[in-house]
Amino acid sequence: MMKEYIQRFSVRQRIEHFTVMMLFLVLGLTGFAQKFYDAPWAIWTINAIGGIDRVRWIHRAAGIAFTVFAIFHISIGLFLVLTRRARPSMIASRKDFQDAITQLRYYLRISDKHARFDRFDYRQKFEYWGMVLGGMLMIATGFMLLYPVIVTRFLPGEFIPVARVAHSNEGLLAFLIVIIWHIFNAHLSPEVFPFDPSIFTGKVTREYMEKEHPIEYERIMGQSEEKQEAQTHEDP
Amino acid sequence: MSRKLLQYFVLLVTLMITSAGQAAPAAPDPPSNDDCLTCHGKPDASAKFTDGETLSLYVDRESFAHSVHGGKLACTNCHTNITAVPHPARQFKDRRAMDLTYYESCKQCHFAEYTRLLDGVHYAALEKGKEKAPTCVDCHGAHAMEPPGKPRMHISATCAKCHTAVGAAYARSAHAAGLAKGNPDVPVCTNCHRAHDNANPLTTASHLRISELCARCHTNEKLMAKYGISTDVLTTYLADFHGLTASLYRSEGLKPAALTATCTDCHGVHDITWVKGPGSSVIKANLLIKCQHCHKGAGPNFSSAWMGHYEPSLRHAPLVYLTKLFYMIFIPFVVGGLVIQILLHLWRVVVNI
Repeated sequence: MMKEYIQRFSVRQRIEHFTVMMLFLVLGLTGFAQKFYDAPWAIWTINAIGGIDRVRWIHRAAGIAFTVFAIFHISIGLFLVLTRRARPSMIASRKDFQDAITQLRYYLRISDKHARFDRFDYRQKFEYWGMVLGGMLMIATGFMLLYPVIVTRFLPGEFIPVARVAHSNEGLLAFLIVIIWHIFNAHLSPEVFPFDPSIFTGKVTREYMEKEHPIEYERIMGQSEEKQEAQTHEDP
Repeated sequence: MSRKLLQYFVLLVTLMITSAGQAAPAAPDPPSNDDCLTCHGKPDASAKFTDGETLSLYVDRESFAHSVHGGKLACTNCHTNITAVPHPARQFKDRRAMDLTYYESCKQCHFAEYTRLLDGVHYAALEKGKEKAPTCVDCHGAHAMEPPGKPRMHISATCAKCHTAVGAAYARSAHAAGLAKGNPDVPVCTNCHRAHDNANPLTTASHLRISELCARCHTNEKLMAKYGISTDVLTTYLADFHGLTASLYRSEGLKPAALTATCTDCHGVHDITWVKGPGSSVIKANLLIKCQHCHKGAGPNFSSAWMGHYEPSLRHAPLVYLTKLFYMIFIPFVVGGLVIQILLHLWRVVVNI
C-alpha cells in the first residue's frame, strides 16, 4: 500500500521558509513606508509604529537578521551539496530552459505535451535564484546605506545614492514578484487553489508529486524499495 | 503760574517726590500738544531716575510732526496718566522701569501686534524677568517713529542693536549684499523670524520648519529666474534621506533623538553665501566639513554622496540616473513576463475545460 503523503520539505526548510516570509513582511512594510514616505498610508504606518527612527531601527535589525539568515542558508546548502548529503536540486540547467519552452508551447496550444519536472521546476528555480541574487543585492546595498561613512572610504560617494535607488527598486521588484508570481503559484494557480500548504506541513500528496514533479517521484519510488524514505531530504 | 515756576516743578517734582501731591486737580481738559511742548520742547528739559541717571524730557516738535503719528495723536494718547500740569510725581528706578511701564500704551491701537508679541520669544523673556527683552519702543522708537520697513535696511539694523553677532554674520551674506543695494527680493531678519511673534529658532520644531521658510522664496520660479537659482532645491532636498526624515519628523510631532540636516546646516544660518562664489560653505571641500559635523570620520569621497540638488541625469550623477533607468525597464520586463506566463497558464486551463 502506497503512502498517501510524501515528505517534500524538511523541518529546517520549513523553518527557513517561515523565517524568510516573516522577515520579508517586516522588511517590506518598514521599507515601503520609507520608499513611499509621502503617501498617507506610509505616514500613517510610520506613526503607528512610533516614528521614522523606530521604523528604521526595525528595518535595519530585520535586515541584519536577514543577512545572518542568508549566510546560514547558503553555508548549509553548500555544505550539504559538497558533502553529497543532498543533491544540488536547485541548480538551473539546460533542461530548465527546455522545460520552459515545452511549457510555453503547451500554454500556446502548439503542443499538448507537458514538461516533466524534477524536484523543482523552472518557475520555482527562477523564483529561488531571484530571491538569492536579489537578496544579496539588497544586503550589499542595505549595508552601503547603513554605513555610508565606511563605504565611501573605498568607493566613490555617488555609490550611496546608487545604492539607494537600487535598494528601493530591487525591493519593489521582489515585492511584485512575490505578490504576483509567488501568490499565484502557491495560492491561485488552479493546480493548488486555494492554498498549497506543503511548505508549512512539509508534505504533499502522492498525486501531486506524480503530476508536478514526476522525475523526482520516480526517483523516490525507486529508492524507497531499498531505503524507505529519509532520502527525500534534499537541498537547498 | 509763571513759566519759570512751571519749569521748576517739572525739574524737581517729576519722578522724584514719593509722597503727597497725589491728588490731581479735578479732571480738567487734558493738556494739548502745545501745552506739553511748552516745557518738553526745551532741549534741556530733563529729570533724574532714582538710580541717578538723567532722562532727557525733550521732544523735538518737528520730528514728532513728521513721524507716523504726527498730526494724529496727542501726547496724552500715549502718556495716558498725564492729565494735568504739573504732573503727579512718579518714581522709576531707572529708564528700563519707565519703558516697561509705558509700552502697554501702544496696545490701545496696535492690539493685534501686541497680542502677537505675547506669543513671541521676547515677551517670554520679559515675563521671566529679563528686563532687557525688547518691547515696542526698543524696536520702533518713541516720538520720531518711522514706518518700520522704510527702508528695509532699518530692520536688520534694528535687530543687530542687540543681536550683534548675528547681525555681523548676516552682513556677510548674499542676502545682506542685495539688501545694501536696495534689492527688495532679499530677506531681512523679520522675513524668516517674523516681527512680533518670533518663535525660538533654536527648538527642534523651528529647525524642522527651516526648509519651508527658505522654500517660500527659493521655489518661486519668477524670483529665482532673476538670479539663475534652481527652484528644484526643495524637491531634491525632500526626496533625499535628510529631507524625507525632516518631513516625517514634522508629521510625527515627536521630538526626534537627533536632528537631521536642513538648508542652514550646509548653507549657513545667517552668513548664507552664493554657492558658486569662493569660500562658499557648500563647495565640495567645505561641504565635507559640514558633513563631518554629524557624520564623524567621513572621508573625502563622502560629500559626493549628496547630489547637490540636481536631479540625476547623464551629466549629474550619471550612475544614479542609469541605475534608475535600468529598473524602469527591468521591473516592467520581469513583471510583465510573469503576468503573461500566468495569463497563458490560466488561458490553457480554461481552454482545456
